[in-house]
Amino acid sequence: MGLLVALALIAAACGPGTTSTTAGVTTTAAPVTTAPPGTTAPPGTTTVAAPLSEYGEDINADPALVAKALGPVTPSEEASWNIVLASISRAHQDLDQATIDKAMECWRNKECDTGSGGDLVMGYADGGGDTVNVWRGVSHMEAILQALTYPEIGTIVSTAANFNQDAAVHTNDIKFLIQRGASFIVGYPDFGIALAPVVSEAEAAGIPYFSFSAGYVGLPGQEGALVPGQDYGGVVGEDLCALGQSFAEVLNTGVGTGKVGMLGGTPGNALTLGWQQCTTAALASGVELVNPPADANTTTGDTYWVNQFALDAVRGLLTSNPEIKGWVYEYSDGLFTALDAYKELDIPVQNITVALRTDEQTLFCDWVDRAEATYNIWYSAGGNFQSRTGVTAAMLKTQGADVPGQIIVPHVMRQVSAADCNPNRVNAVVSGTSLAPDSVLALMFGG
Amino acid sequence: MTTLRTPSKAVTSFVVASRYMPVFLAIGLLVIVSSIWVPAAIGPVSLSAIAPAGALLAITALGQMLVVMTGGIDLSTPGTLTLAALIMVGVSDQLDDRIGLAMVTAIGVGALIGLVNGVLIGGLKLNPLIVTLAVGQVIAGAVSRYVRSFPVQSAVPTTLSDWADTRYLGVNPVFWIGLAVTVVLILALRYTSVGRRFQVVGANPVSSNVVGIRVTFNQILVYVVAAVLYAVAGVALAALRGNPAVSAGVPYLLGPIAAVVIGGASLAGGLASPLSTLVAAFFLTGLNQMMLALGLPTALQFVVFGLVIIGGMLVSGDRIIKGVERVLRERRGPRGPKAESDIAIESG
Repeated sequence: MGLLVALALIAAACGPGTTSTTAGVTTTAAPVTTAPPGTTAPPGTTTVAAPLSEYGEDINADPALVAKALGPVTPSEEASWNIVLASISRAHQDLDQATIDKAMECWRNKECDTGSGGDLVMGYADGGGDTVNVWRGVSHMEAILQALTYPEIGTIVSTAANFNQDAAVHTNDIKFLIQRGASFIVGYPDFGIALAPVVSEAEAAGIPYFSFSAGYVGLPGQEGALVPGQDYGGVVGEDLCALGQSFAEVLNTGVGTGKVGMLGGTPGNALTLGWQQCTTAALASGVELVNPPADANTTTGDTYWVNQFALDAVRGLLTSNPEIKGWVYEYSDGLFTALDAYKELDIPVQNITVALRTDEQTLFCDWVDRAEATYNIWYSAGGNFQSRTGVTAAMLKTQGADVPGQIIVPHVMRQVSAADCNPNRVNAVVSGTSLAPDSVLALMFGG
Repeated sequence: MTTLRTPSKAVTSFVVASRYMPVFLAIGLLVIVSSIWVPAAIGPVSLSAIAPAGALLAITALGQMLVVMTGGIDLSTPGTLTLAALIMVGVSDQLDDRIGLAMVTAIGVGALIGLVNGVLIGGLKLNPLIVTLAVGQVIAGAVSRYVRSFPVQSAVPTTLSDWADTRYLGVNPVFWIGLAVTVVLILALRYTSVGRRFQVVGANPVSSNVVGIRVTFNQILVYVVAAVLYAVAGVALAALRGNPAVSAGVPYLLGPIAAVVIGGASLAGGLASPLSTLVAAFFLTGLNQMMLALGLPTALQFVVFGLVIIGGMLVSGDRIIKGVERVLRERRGPRGPKAESDIAIESG
């Protein structure tokens, strides 16, 4: 594990540019290259430009921030990794008060003038919203903070469908952003494939659409799914199948032999569908999934990422399978609420292995309080910062850069330890891996 | 002169009671099906676990039942419930000594919402469906603004959530609240003049007006009482969940209406039974629990839930009454003018 951490930090610090196969180094044959903005190459020398520098990006992200956001990961393929690093390098933690005030203004209002005088209008379309879910609120703020680092962006317009179960609400939000004149749209499409028509409408109007958190507009291969990078700007997120296999590995090892339950988000959403397909396929023969998906295009254990529904789902599955020894889900805080089902059903929280994606502190601190040696949690990363990557990818696209349709964010599973609970966190529901500075989180959630 | 026959008291009681029978048959069927497919779902621990959820649905359904008894319908239930739950978070500010203030505020705001509904519907004679839908939207806007005044997913005071964790006679206190509300309504509707007026106004507002019953006042009052019940459910929900979300009220739009329908109430107004509404709420909660226990896909859960509501409509109280009437009429043979017995049956 220590070796992995070291490798990841070195890779993050140096960037792909130091490896022999990176484009930035091997294209030295080019007679003239572009130096990073604000720098001037000495006369008579040939400069090798850092990747993306011609678009004003810097991939030398702070290794500590990379580690905070992702953990000890192995970098993904170069084109993706560069964009990830470029986005993290803009995640400044020491913001001045004026920037914080502007960020809060933009977060609280549907529309704000960034004050930069820029011509671009950033549209932010969330199927959830700041008032319904902390994770969504933090992701929104990270997108705003990222946008404020681009002087070209003069206006930020945000919409939230607040988990409305009618896909038309989110669709209308995106239509509004199109009519409002958004230059690009970043968001999370909770209804996935159902949003294909409106996303196509945006693209037809010349407005690139980028989703984050693996929010595919239909999982590739699904009937009617849009192709990221071709039909729409692109999607930022983990390799969902690899994530699902990692979840399965955690359960296979931790459970050994026994029953496990699987939860997901909005019915049919691409994120859940993507990892559930691969988790289901990768479970060992001794691990029995009590609620397998009905078919390859269906999600199971749908909770809409709403804590109450997660509790209902877990209560239901536990009723018929009290001997469940493992759970797999994206949403840590949802599982925190769902654990109430154990108390309701008088089942001890023992001999349980949990595989999760996000890392809200509520569950982790509850885990510490329980001090139960046979209850173990593994998690990947909250991924709030991926909205930043969506903004950076969109900005690259507007400048004509070649942006991959799938910007893969690497992941690694980590076991929860006492150090993962920070009792002094401004809000216990905020992910520990968020790159939103504490000064901003304090204003967002400090009351 | 025509000799009018009066049906026996037993026949009348049977006819009146028959409209509420389907829900008891349904819950019996659910128990049988559960015992075959998911035996654990009808065990004491499992039933205890769903008791608070059933009670919450029952409290809101009882409010909706009162409205339906006046021939109306209330679609502002989710908004009122959500606002009350969030007031418990916002006003209490996680301080134990503010719990009382928060409760009074939540229930007071609920009553105010009911008053607005009542004045618009009872006083101005506007369509209840449209009015309550519109008021629900206004509340949704207010909720959206209000939740920005405190951190999202904030918790209620620990004393309140600890209370919701306790057990009385082995069951969650919210269940006992639901049961108490049911008993109070049964007694009020049967033994108080206010309760009887509710039924009379709903069954025949024109005649009620003629005999001097203040129809408008009763219609306003019923929306106020209903909204207070929604607010009580919101307070209980906040206590149960600890940190209620903006979407907390979503399941309470169709659920209470379904419970009222399956409970045998007449959608045209008039008769309804708090007991059968309570049973219907627990039937729906139990059905939901069974489907979750079976791990059914969400799509199938929606289908089953929808089919059950349609089934409830098909064997609704009004249809049962007509069916029983028809059978009795056929047994009595053809007669001339409308007999007193028919009138007695209809006014049930």
